[in-house]
Amino acid sequence: MGEEELHQLIRGCIKQDRKCQKMLYKAFYGFSMSICLRYAGNRDEAAEVMNQGFFKVFTHIDSYDITRPFKAWLGKIMMNVSIDFYRANLKMAYTEDLESAEHVSDGDMVDKNLNYNDLLAMVQKLPQAYRTVFNLFAIEGYSHEEIGAMLNINVGTSKSNLHKARQKLKLMILKADSGTNSNNYNNGTNYNTSIVAINATSMNGVFLNKGFRE
Amino acid sequence: MNKENDKGLDNLFKKKLEDPVDQAGYKEEDWANLEQMLDKHKKRRGIIYWLPIISSVAALLLLFLGWWNFRPQVVHHNPKNGFLAVNHHKQSHTGTGDGPSRQPINQKHFQTNNADYAINTTINKSPRASKSIIKLSVAGSRRNSTGPIQAVTTGKATRNEDEALLAESPVPVFESEQFIAVPVNPIYLQNKNTNPETNAAVPENVKIKAGKQAAFRPRFALSVLAAPDINGVGSFQESKVGTNVGLLFSAGLFKKFTISTGVLYSDKPYLTAFENYHTQYQFPVNPVNVAANCQMLDIPVNIGYQVYNKHQNKISIGTGLSSYIMLHQSFTFNYANPYSTGPSNFNVPNSSGYFFGVLNLNATYERQLNSKVGISFQPYLKLPLTNIGYSQVRLQTTGVAVGLTWNLNSFSKP
Repeated sequence: MGEEELHQLIRGCIKQDRKCQKMLYKAFYGFSMSICLRYAGNRDEAAEVMNQGFFKVFTHIDSYDITRPFKAWLGKIMMNVSIDFYRANLKMAYTEDLESAEHVSDGDMVDKNLNYNDLLAMVQKLPQAYRTVFNLFAIEGYSHEEIGAMLNINVGTSKSNLHKARQKLKLMILKADSGTNSNNYNNGTNYNTSIVAINATSMNGVFLNKGFRE
Repeated sequence: MNKENDKGLDNLFKKKLEDPVDQAGYKEEDWANLEQMLDKHKKRRGIIYWLPIISSVAALLLLFLGWWNFRPQVVHHNPKNGFLAVNHHKQSHTGTGDGPSRQPINQKHFQTNNADYAINTTINKSPRASKSIIKLSVAGSRRNSTGPIQAVTTGKATRNEDEALLAESPVPVFESEQFIAVPVNPIYLQNKNTNPETNAAVPENVKIKAGKQAAFRPRFALSVLAAPDINGVGSFQESKVGTNVGLLFSAGLFKKFTISTGVLYSDKPYLTAFENYHTQYQFPVNPVNVAANCQMLDIPVNIGYQVYNKHQNKISIGTGLSSYIMLHQSFTFNYANPYSTGPSNFNVPNSSGYFFGVLNLNATYERQLNSKVGISFQPYLKLPLTNIGYSQVRLQTTGVAVGLTWNLNSFSKP
């Protein structure tokens, strides 16, 4: 989408033109979803959070500074609504899955040929508290201090959650690797039992629907 | 080693997740959901747009209501008295005083001072620091006893004067010109001579304190309030400014309803015409008015309904009942004539309770400063449902409470 076209759409959205809103929504659906999917546990949740984000975009579009990149503004809103969602589910986030992280031996993770859907599925399998910290630290690049302030948690908690998230992810990657030597963690044909145990729910969906449909 | 590995892991996810190979496909049903949200918002916006305006108007009305309530009384009294005074003149211009007859209240014992004044007025005594109130007395030299009462009410009083004067002009006895020309001899209501006497129970006006029902948060909140208010009996023309300080606890019942209660210490001074003061004691000379000062504890139980809530701003309206416990009441009697003999003051130290004797009406604007603390402004009106205090006065109060609120459960909602 060209710059001019985007600005035209935004002007339409400022006037609360429904057609322009829909076009903007469609144009940035994939981008917004990719952010929300990382923070959410599944696609439905992600879509709900994303809609909250777009709702904010459309109701506050007049505060958008047109000289700044729209994508960055939109991305920030999506991240913020995701964090809001996390905070709204705070209790759940901390009550689930609090067992101490097992020690996982480090292997060479980088070389694993895992695709986007594989990795997304793994992140989504993390408990929400771990997932949120991992997203903010590893992907968005925030420091633990910043994360602590954003999530209203201690720096220590942030560090601990990140550590546990990493441990769990490593475990998942190793299992995926040991389960299938194939190139696609997600091809689903030869899961061994342990992998199915970990990934059964989302993996089936991922396989059937390119990772997003149930 | 470990760190590097962690970094490698982070990078693996960062690289791949930031650049999705196949982005989530667009779903029409997602848009439908969003559209529904937008429609709902639009509809609500229409109403909400007016809410702040409506609420502001309601708040102003509330304040006005107080004045309005009192006004009618004042207006009534004054004209009446004025006319009465005139009539009396005609009948007995010579003089001095038929205080009683002029007094609408028919207080036979009124005499002396005012009557004297009436005479004096014609003679023209030194006009002095007569306040407008005093001027009234001119017209009302004959209004003696009532005079004071009405006189006390300031603003309108002046009007009465005029009426009274006009009315008088036809009176043969008085030379109207003279009358008018002569500077009105003031009856010093203000200078009131206070002759002490102990007796009468002065009713305590119901003092309203600032009942804050405002819930700053839907759940539990603690507020510290301070409220200057205006107290008056029958009229705010005699109003005096009182103060209230207190602590309120509020709890969200449902989504929009809040119930609040607490304790406020109120110091309510007020001035009232003697006619409003009920006592069995017979004053040798009736005072012109009574200045009272009551200290009490106000225990409100209010319910509030939130009409607007957006961003950090909330507007709610509320009503409820107040009970209070009188801690101390004191009354000072003011006489028209400095030399009159009568009680000058009276104290009621005992404490007595009046339960649910006052109706609270209020509107609250709250602004959340952060998740824990908010400030609020609450115009309110307190109307007496029963006579309260030793003197059985119906005291109305209006004011604006300013409060600082702490949300007790803010941690549960970041």
